[in-house]
Amino acid sequence: MVEHAAHLLPSQGPIGVFIHHNTLHAFQHLPFEDAVVAASGVYGAEPFMSEAAYREGLAKGRIREEDLRAVVEREANEAILPGALDRRTLRSTLLISGQRDFDAATIDWALEESRLLEPDGHGLFAACLELVEMKAVPAQPPARPRDGLLHLAGIDLDEVIHPLLIRLTGVYLDQGIAYWPMPNRQSGFLDSVRALLAPGWALYPRYLERLGDEFRAQLEQNLDAEEVALKALDRLGVPEEDWERVLTAELLALPGWAGIVRELEKNPGLAPHVRVPCSLMEFLAVRLTLELVAAVGVLEERGMGALGLHEWRKTPVSTPSRPAERRAKAARLWDALRRLGLSERDLTAWNPVLRRRLASEIQKFDALERRRLFHLAYELRHEQDVLQPLALHRRNKMPGGRGRRPFADVFFCIDEREESLRRHLEEVAPDVKTHGTAGFFGVAMEYTGIDDAHGAALCPVVVKPQHSVRERPSSHHSQLHRRRVSRRRAWARMARQTFLSSRTLLRGWASTTALWPLALFPLVTRVLAPGRYGRLEKALHKRLIPQPSTELAFTRSEAEAHIASNGLLQGFTLEEMIDRVAGTLGNAGLRDGFARLVAILGHGSTSLNNPHESAHDCGACGGGRGGPNGRVFAAMANRRDVRRGLRARSVEIPGDTWFVGGYHDTCNAGIALFDLEFVPESHRSELSRLRVALDAARALDAQERVRRFEAASAYGGPGRALRHVQDRAERLSEPRPEYGHATNAVCIVGRRELTRGLFLDRRAFLVSYDAAQDAGDSALARLLGAVVPVCAGISLEYYFSFVDNERYGCGTKLPHNVTGLIGVMNGHASDLRTGLPWQMVEVHEPVRILFAVESTPERVMKVMSANPELAEFLGNRWIRLATIDPDSGEVWIRRGAEFERLSPALDTLPSAASSADWFRGRIEHLPIARISSESAR
Amino acid sequence: MPLTPQTFLILAVLAPGCLFLGMGLLWLVGVNPPEKAIARTANATYGFVCLMLCGLVWSMRSAGLTSVSAGTGNWYAVHEFQIPLTLLADRLSVPLMGLTALLSGLVAVFSRRYLHRERGFFRFFLLLHLFAFGSLLVFAAGSVDLLIGGWEIICVSSALLVAFFHERPEPVKSAIRVYATYRGCDIGIMAGAFFLHHWAGSTLYRSVFPGEWPGQSSVMTGGGATLIGLFLLLGAMGKSAQAPFSGWLPRAMEGPTPSSAIFYGAISVHAGAYLMLRAQPLLAASSFASGVVIFIGACSAIHGTMVARASSDVKTSLAYSSISQLGLIFMEIGAGFSWLPLIHITGHAVVRTLQFLKAPSALHEFHGLHAAAGGHLPKTGAHYETALPAGLRSWLYRLALDRGHHDTILDHVVSGPLRKLAQRMTSLENRWRLSPKAPSNEGSHV
Repeated sequence: MVEHAAHLLPSQGPIGVFIHHNTLHAFQHLPFEDAVVAASGVYGAEPFMSEAAYREGLAKGRIREEDLRAVVEREANEAILPGALDRRTLRSTLLISGQRDFDAATIDWALEESRLLEPDGHGLFAACLELVEMKAVPAQPPARPRDGLLHLAGIDLDEVIHPLLIRLTGVYLDQGIAYWPMPNRQSGFLDSVRALLAPGWALYPRYLERLGDEFRAQLEQNLDAEEVALKALDRLGVPEEDWERVLTAELLALPGWAGIVRELEKNPGLAPHVRVPCSLMEFLAVRLTLELVAAVGVLEERGMGALGLHEWRKTPVSTPSRPAERRAKAARLWDALRRLGLSERDLTAWNPVLRRRLASEIQKFDALERRRLFHLAYELRHEQDVLQPLALHRRNKMPGGRGRRPFADVFFCIDEREESLRRHLEEVAPDVKTHGTAGFFGVAMEYTGIDDAHGAALCPVVVKPQHSVRERPSSHHSQLHRRRVSRRRAWARMARQTFLSSRTLLRGWASTTALWPLALFPLVTRVLAPGRYGRLEKALHKRLIPQPSTELAFTRSEAEAHIASNGLLQGFTLEEMIDRVAGTLGNAGLRDGFARLVAILGHGSTSLNNPHESAHDCGACGGGRGGPNGRVFAAMANRRDVRRGLRARSVEIPGDTWFVGGYHDTCNAGIALFDLEFVPESHRSELSRLRVALDAARALDAQERVRRFEAASAYGGPGRALRHVQDRAERLSEPRPEYGHATNAVCIVGRRELTRGLFLDRRAFLVSYDAAQDAGDSALARLLGAVVPVCAGISLEYYFSFVDNERYGCGTKLPHNVTGLIGVMNGHASDLRTGLPWQMVEVHEPVRILFAVESTPERVMKVMSANPELAEFLGNRWIRLATIDPDSGEVWIRRGAEFERLSPALDTLPSAASSADWFRGRIEHLPIARISSESAR
Repeated sequence: MPLTPQTFLILAVLAPGCLFLGMGLLWLVGVNPPEKAIARTANATYGFVCLMLCGLVWSMRSAGLTSVSAGTGNWYAVHEFQIPLTLLADRLSVPLMGLTALLSGLVAVFSRRYLHRERGFFRFFLLLHLFAFGSLLVFAAGSVDLLIGGWEIICVSSALLVAFFHERPEPVKSAIRVYATYRGCDIGIMAGAFFLHHWAGSTLYRSVFPGEWPGQSSVMTGGGATLIGLFLLLGAMGKSAQAPFSGWLPRAMEGPTPSSAIFYGAISVHAGAYLMLRAQPLLAASSFASGVVIFIGACSAIHGTMVARASSDVKTSLAYSSISQLGLIFMEIGAGFSWLPLIHITGHAVVRTLQFLKAPSALHEFHGLHAAAGGHLPKTGAHYETALPAGLRSWLYRLALDRGHHDTILDHVVSGPLRKLAQRMTSLENRWRLSPKAPSNEGSHV
């Protein structure tokens, strides 16, 4: 039962490894539109944007009237007034003209003071009053004791127990902030809390005076968590049929804390440093004990001790004043009738049955229903704005064969933030080809770098890595490496000591009286010149910490050689390497024609002032940084034996092709390439050409990113923009180091020719795929199986964090307080905040992600229905889907269970000579445009 | 205007005040200036204040003065009772004014980016300027009366910044808590000023503490000095979050990070220590009062360090670490040191501000450190684990976790009885109102 209640809790692990997921994962078995409404009932959160936001979109042309009509047309029609009015007309009229709502609290003011009905609305209003149907709401007992007692005694039990409960949970889960760890943590939450609070000789907070007695009694009777919880429920007078409802409400009172306890219970390995045994049942037992004691305490203090604890269930749920509510409903009806052009006389002309039908039809078309339709129209416009240009671009520019051999192939992650970098790279170096593949490049591994304390999984979360890869210093640099390790240790010891000593008493005295000038310099420079401070720090680091060259230990000769400590396989065998390289290249449809130089760029993000830093890292690497994956992949693909094996699988890598791994930092725009010392002399010129092109592209990319930031000058050149984003990453004060996945909206699976030359505004995940090379659709199945959950998770997390930032997201970052190294609170004692902060999502457009797959509807559906997870995403409309025929270029859009052909509605695309010409000086979302140097001529 | 020390002093104090007034007027007429303008005027103002303070030091040095007082007349005078508006710059106040100007300026620069696009951007800067004016006034005041003026400005701006996110209930509750503690303890400083007026006839430092800081003497001695010293101590304890009034400090972390830094890491919490430094001649005249100051400081130091050790969130742990250092500063003052606590205040303010500003990056830093240390950071808390028996350890831990039970104690001793009194008075009033003779058309009070 607790398990059942628990699935409603947010499933976000410790914040150091942030993995995007569908916020409403628990509701994924329902169709999207029903799920958001059901969830809004459970969490009290908004299902869609506000009606005002959609109306603003309507006013600005982001939604068009034709879109509203189209979404209304798609739903079942029914005649309301035969021959005069049907449901579609009613709905589209009310949507477009802006039906108003009135609430019971302000209706009288509207009627009397702002003279709503003047001059001639009184008659119609009176008729409306008659027509309003008031539904009787069945009385429900309060959801939990706190609600009942709040009504009964005027005291909020949550305010009594939460400070203590939050503090206890916080220190229990702490991963290293507190100097003194909580005693007895290994014996479990309930036991360690009891050991702490049961002994006497202490004061208890108000209303919790009996807490010690209660815990002592539990210890005497030797109750375990489940017994404690059951007893508490029993004493609180909760009947068995109500347990689940009450337990759910209790857990959702502090969803963040309960959620993290559950996550760590399910997967203790998520704890970054200290593993403590977690159990949601024990959390619940402590919570219910506190609540029980507080309830008794409150009743006693209020002189209501004789009442008995079960009284809370009898308190009435307050109902709004019925007459005012009726008037409010009547006013809404009145407003709707006027918009439909129906006067009192028209109304009386219809017989009473029809009149009632009309009224109930209008009442059913409430704000929620309107917002749903608005949302569908909002998404419809987006879909048209993406698919029409795609279709046109496809028609205009028939993708030809492979053409001339490019001088470099560059592989990027599918991440929509790489879209702009790819485009700029192709703009500055037209003879470069770029490809998109999930940023772990098929190399799922647990990786330990020379600076890492222990390994971290670099692969999608759903994959458990089986292989371990270790970075080690090259043999001639082992001396240097030892020095590096010892210096870094010394630095860590010193930094740690300074950190600790400033917080303790006596050492703190010394450091604050004597050593403070050492803090003055960083304080002043980090605030006034963060970029310079960052560069100084890096220069010092380079000077003082030796940089040994390194290599990767990624091969294994024997079939089974597990590492004793973690049970993983040490590296990859030849066969496994061939599998990985062939898989990644094959999925992308690349079997021959490689350039002389192939770069594989993983990505990640570094920033300060950002507890959510990991949310900006690579989703395909499970919230890690994908540089090592690119490096390992390149090293594998450069091996002769691997290439021989690939040939047997019909992947032909020419003998003069060289692979280079690399890493792109999406925040500070740095691009590093690895193992350059091994690049053959013959490839140096290509390498330096690529380096130059990448440098130009990353500056242009920075310029494009910067257009969204008000703080940066919109007209600065690429160089200035680059400097700006570098500064941003070093700023202690910057709450938006980058915008991350905000604005993501589309995922295009197909050949690059489909999108090359299109300005997609960093909003599209780009997955390379060639249906012609994939006769059995097995590559498509693998790609969609990996890409859909990741992209849908990102898109849905952004959707929910945007539509209700306080409940689904974690609100503004400004008062956030890092707690226990596992999450953030607001201030000193709030719930653990889950979801994304406002500063990350503020520029987002909440639409479900639109997949555009270059294949036929039949082939895509075959793949989708064979995979239950994908079938659920698609069937319940958590994602949108369209296909682009690989041969004819026809676009098919999935609507309900059918595909509908897109009828072309565009003749020309806006075009610009370069991306910069298109975006310069503009901060808003930009339409898709054709970027072509010819258009300038 | 002649470039006298007096001019520099007055301009330095008034600049943020004028900026606040100007911006407040804009606020009142509903003008919302662009962020850039707000930030630029802030930078210019704090730059100007720093410049004026440099001018002050330069002109004092060239004139060979160790203290300067600038009078601007009386605020209020009835016969011999008067509240003069006198500013004083001496070796105690100038360093603290410099610190205030520097840190306020840094925080203003920091906040420009931190609060970018926040709805309350203007409000934040408005309150920051008010606060800076208040603290400059506290440090530059030449009398306890004027100090109270600055003191109250700090109080108001502090409470309003804690409640910065007033659309959520917790910040507002915490702000009320902060305000109540401040005002409760203000009784002490008011009473102190009253008795100074009563017995010494003035609250001007020049008159009651003749001489140059450090080493001023006191015209008050004996029981009077003890009483006034203790009253002022009460006021200082509230501002500096000394035990048992520490509970408000973690609650004050509801505001945006930079305001937490300037108020609770840097300037505001040290105002109490400054007051004690000012009143040091009284303490010197009364060994009892000095003893109490040392005692309170020691309690706070131990309390602060214990609670900080058991705090699992960054800002609370910083708040209590501050309390422990403030306790030490109080002890130093009680023990009769002058320069030491002044240096300690300065150093502590600088170190703590940096730490508060770095608080949101704690995760990043910790992970970097952890990796550099090879995955094993030295274990903390080992001394106490080996030195104390398990039972005592658990008891101490619990005391620390419940923050010394101070909130419970205050609840029992202060707010509980107050609440009861209020309830009794309400019921009395109700009975009086409900009696037939009473007029019944008054507003309803609950």
